[in-house]
Amino acid sequence: MTGSVHHAIRVLFIAASDDVEPLLAGLRDAGLEVGSLVVRDEGELRAALASETWSVIVCAEEAAGLSGHDALRIVQANAPATPFVLVSRSGGEAAAVEAMRAGAQDFVLAGDRPRLVTAVQRAIEEADSRPGDAAIAQNLEFLREVRDYAIFVLSPDGCVWTWNDGAHLIKGYTAEEIVGRSFECFYTAEDRANGKPAAMLRRAAAEGRAEEESWRVRQDGTRFWASVVITAVHERDGRLRGFVKVTRDLTERRRQDELVRQSEERLRLLVESVKDYAIFMLDPQGHVATWNSGAQNIKGYRREDVLGKHFSIFYPPEDVELGRPERELEIAISEGRYEEEAWRVRKNGERFLANVVITAVFDDAKRLRGFAKITRDLTELRRIQEEANEAHLAVKSRDEFISVAAHELRTPLTALQLKLQGVDRALKRADSGPGHELASRLADRIDGALRQVERLGALVERLLDVSSIVGGTLQLELEELDLLEIVERVVEDLREPAQQVGSELRIHGPSGVAGVWDRARIEQVLINLLSNAIKYGAGKPIDVTVQGAADAVRILVSDQGIGIAADDTDRIFTRFERAVPVRHYGGLGLGLYITRHIVEAHGGSIKVSSRAGQGSTFIIELPRRATLRDAATDGAESAQ
Amino acid sequence: MTERSCNHLVMIVDDDHDVRESIAEVLEDNDYEPIAAANGREALDILRADPNRPCLILLDMMMPVMDGWQFRALLQQDPELRSIPVVVLTAHAHLPDGGDVVPMHFLKKPVKLDALLSSVARFCPKA
Repeated sequence: MTGSVHHAIRVLFIAASDDVEPLLAGLRDAGLEVGSLVVRDEGELRAALASETWSVIVCAEEAAGLSGHDALRIVQANAPATPFVLVSRSGGEAAAVEAMRAGAQDFVLAGDRPRLVTAVQRAIEEADSRPGDAAIAQNLEFLREVRDYAIFVLSPDGCVWTWNDGAHLIKGYTAEEIVGRSFECFYTAEDRANGKPAAMLRRAAAEGRAEEESWRVRQDGTRFWASVVITAVHERDGRLRGFVKVTRDLTERRRQDELVRQSEERLRLLVESVKDYAIFMLDPQGHVATWNSGAQNIKGYRREDVLGKHFSIFYPPEDVELGRPERELEIAISEGRYEEEAWRVRKNGERFLANVVITAVFDDAKRLRGFAKITRDLTELRRIQEEANEAHLAVKSRDEFISVAAHELRTPLTALQLKLQGVDRALKRADSGPGHELASRLADRIDGALRQVERLGALVERLLDVSSIVGGTLQLELEELDLLEIVERVVEDLREPAQQVGSELRIHGPSGVAGVWDRARIEQVLINLLSNAIKYGAGKPIDVTVQGAADAVRILVSDQGIGIAADDTDRIFTRFERAVPVRHYGGLGLGLYITRHIVEAHGGSIKVSSRAGQGSTFIIELPRRATLRDAATDGAESAQ
Repeated sequence: MTERSCNHLVMIVDDDHDVRESIAEVLEDNDYEPIAAANGREALDILRADPNRPCLILLDMMMPVMDGWQFRALLQQDPELRSIPVVVLTAHAHLPDGGDVVPMHFLKKPVKLDALLSSVARFCPKA
C-alpha cells in the first residue's frame, strides 16, 4: 500500500475549460506522476467512468451543463469507490457540509490551489489506506449486476451512496434518481411517521445489524413484502462509516406462503366440518392428536376430552384385551393401511358397527409420523340396507302373490262360466215351452251374470299378463298378419260399446299393411287403447289410423276427450298408474303398462301426444317383423 | 249299442273337481256321456280297463301324479288308444306339437261353452 503513492495517478476533471495545468503542475511538484482527462458534460463523464478506473475525480462546480450535485450522483452510481473532490466558487460551511453528506470526499474553494492539491493528495491516500472500503467498493461493484437482491450502501445518516440492478428492479428507482437521497422513501408513510428508518439505523449501529420482514414501498407507490438486513460498517478507529443494506422482495414467497396457509386452513376446516365421518390423527404411539366434528358425533367425545387419550378407548374391552388396537397399528405400519368392519364403543358405552380405515403416515425420510384414522358409523347404512331388502322382498312377494292368486282364480272362473253358460243354454231351450216368461227373465239375469264373469276373467288375464311381464316370461306367438284386418276386427267388436257412449269409431289407412306379429297381443293392444279412448273420449269420434313404411308400421289411436297433462304422459305407462282419480274411472291402471310391454316385446315403441282437455293420440310403432326380445324367448322355452 | 255309446263317450281329464263337474254337466245337458279322471294316470287306468273307447279326450296339461304331456306320450305308445282324438285345454294358444300321429287340438282357457260344444261335436257327431 505504501508504494501506491508512487504509482501513476489518473485524475478526471469535470470542468468548463482545459485550464487544469496549474493544478497538475502543483501535483507533479508534490512528487506525483499524473495523467488526466477533462470532461465537460454528462455524456463525456459517463464515457470516462465506463472506460477506466480513476484515482480521483475533481469537479469544478460550474462545469458546463452539469452541476456538481448531478456529477456526484453520476459518479456514485457508476464508480462509487472513486474519491470525489468538489471545487466551488461559492463557499460557506453549509455548502461544504452538504457536499460531504452527499458523499464528496472534500470541498475546496475555487482559486485555493494549494488547498486543492492537498485535498486531492489526501483523497487518494485515504482511498488507498482504507482497504476495507476499497474491498466493499470492489464487492459492491461486483454485486452491481445481482438482480434478486437490492444491495446498496447508506451513509451514516441514511443517504443512499450506491445502487445495484436488484435495487432498481425491486424498488423501481434508477441509481441517478436515488443516490444521494435519504433511504426513508423506501418506508411506508406510517413507518416514516413513527421514525422507523432512523430507529433501524440506530439499532444497526448499536448492535451491528438490524433485520426485519415488513412492508416497503416502491417508487410507483406500490407496497412489497421485504426482508431487510442493515449491517453497520465501521472505520478502523471505530467511527461509523455507513451501512450496507440488503433487501429482498418476498411478496411472491409471502403470497405462496399465504396460499399454502389458506389451503391448509381450508383442508382443516373441511376435515373439521365433516359430520358423517370421524377423521382424526393418532401420534405414532396411538394417542389422539386431532379431532373433527364427525368424530365427536360418532364417538361422543369432545375434543378437549379426547386429545392425548390412547385410541384403544374406542374399542370394546374384549378387543383391547386381545391387543387388537396395537395389532391394527402394526398392520397399518407394515401394509400401509388397515381396514375392517367391527364393533366400536361410544363414550356412553353404546356399541356401534363401524367401518374403520387406519393409514400409516410417513414423512419424506420414511419416519412414522402417526396414523390417519377414518371411522364411519354403519348403523344407519345397515338399517337403510335392511329396509331396502325388506321393501324388495315385499314387492317380490306381492308379485308372486298376484301371479298365484290370478292362476288360482282362473280355474273356478272356468267352472263358473261353464255352469252359467249351461244354465243359460237350458233356459233358452225352455223359452218356447210352458213357463217361458220366467225362463226368459232368468236367462236375462244369467246373461248379466256371465258379463260379470267375463269382466272378472279379463281382470284375471291382466294380472297374469303383469305377472309374466314382471317375471320376464311374456310370450309372443308370431304369424303373418294384415294389420288393417286386425284393426277392423277389433273396431267391429267395440263399435257397440262406443255407440252406447255416443262415439263413432273411424278407421283410416290402406289394407295390405302386412307384418309378422302376435295376433292376440296386437288385438289386446288395440282393445286397450280403444277402450281407453271410449272411456275418456266418450261422445266424440275416435280415429284409428294405420300407416305402413318399408321397415315399420304405425298405428295411431286418437280421441277428443279429456286428454293427459304433460306431467303424466310418462307415468301412465307404468304399473298401477293412471292420469285420473280412481274414483271417477275404474280399472287397475294396468292397461297401458301391459300395452307398452307388448309393443316393446315386439321390438316397437309407444308414445302419447296429448294436452289436457284436447284429447290424446297414442302412437305405436312396430317393426314389420317383430324382433323377439330375450325375455320373450326365455318365456317360450320355459313353457316347454 | 257299443257303436252308439262310443260316439257319445267323452273323457274329461282335469285335476280340478269343479271344472270336471261343470264340463260333465254341460256335456250331459247335450246328450254326451262324460267320463271323468283327475289326472293322466287315472285316465289311462280307466281307458285300459274299459273296452268302451271315448270318441274324444278333453285334456288339461298341468296336473299332479301324471301331467298332460306324460299322458299324451303314453297314449301315443298304446296302439289300442293312440287313435283317440285329444283336445288340449290350455291358456296358451299354441303348445309345441311333438310330431304326433294324431295332431293335437286346442281349446283356449277359460273355455267357453260354444267353443267346447262345437269341438266335441266335431269329433263325436251325433247320429
